[in-house]
Amino acid sequence: MTENFEDELRRALRPVPAPEGFTERVMRALPERRTGALTPIAAARPARPPNYWQRLHAPAALAASLLLAVLLGQQMSLRNQQREQAAGLAASQELMQALRVTSQKLDLAYQAVKHPPEAVVEENRS
Amino acid sequence: MNARAAFLIIALLSTGPAFAQGPASAQIKGQLRLPEFSGLTDKASESVNVTLGPELLGMASRFLSSANPEEAAAKKLVASLTGIYVRNYTFDTDYAYPKADIDGVRRQLSAPGWTRMVETRSRKENTDVDVYVLLDHGRAQGLAVIASEPREFTIVNIVGNIDLEQLHDLQQLGVPDLELETTKKPVPTKPAPAKPAEKK
Repeated sequence: MTENFEDELRRALRPVPAPEGFTERVMRALPERRTGALTPIAAARPARPPNYWQRLHAPAALAASLLLAVLLGQQMSLRNQQREQAAGLAASQELMQALRVTSQKLDLAYQAVKHPPEAVVEENRS
Repeated sequence: MNARAAFLIIALLSTGPAFAQGPASAQIKGQLRLPEFSGLTDKASESVNVTLGPELLGMASRFLSSANPEEAAAKKLVASLTGIYVRNYTFDTDYAYPKADIDGVRRQLSAPGWTRMVETRSRKENTDVDVYVLLDHGRAQGLAVIASEPREFTIVNIVGNIDLEQLHDLQQLGVPDLELETTKKPVPTKPAPAKPAEKK
């Protein structure tokens, strides 16, 4: 019983040659391969020497960046200078104001020392 | 272990005040700790609050014109200074300012080195003016002026190597000749009338 079963199984699973045209049918059933997408650009396009402007791209970009950096630096320096000048002028005005207040109060002390209250009274009486 | 912990606590407690004294000790000689008076600015009808440390003073000095005699004299005076601090407040009512704050500044001037050069008390006008100088090896290293009037008070603190002779030169600003003892023989001059201060 077991031997029969094994023989039957062996018979059923024996290698069978593929029917004729099987490979072609399978290949036809597969989705079409896009050969273009996989082709490298360099291979697809014929190599051309870069023209004058293309050759200047990198140096021009570098020069433009440098110019921009210099202009920005100049602008920032000018602004800093203006800011510093404004702060300096404000500080000098504050300084003069401080010295005026100081002089006013020193004068107050001077007047009090120079003309003590008694002297003022004497002057008023005369 | 307990002894170590106790030692650590004591060490931390003893270094605490040292850290707290840090900023105060960093203060320049002759510079007073002036109160903020921040609340007074709104209360006062006029106020002048000038704080010029070494950097700002240097910057201000660069912008003073040598052609203008007033500014030229100021420039000469400021060259050896490290700070000018002025607080001046004017009020519409009498004694609207905290007298305790001014007394606090006066207390700082009782420290060694400071000498009261002028003390004036006017009962008639209720005006007190005190002029203090911080002397170090015979040179003025600081000047403080405290003037209190019923409706105005002023605190001036000038820090640095003050040449009292140059202070005389500031007569264009109305600084009077206080007949201070200086190294050179003072030139007798008439006091110029005080100009009214420009206020903010």
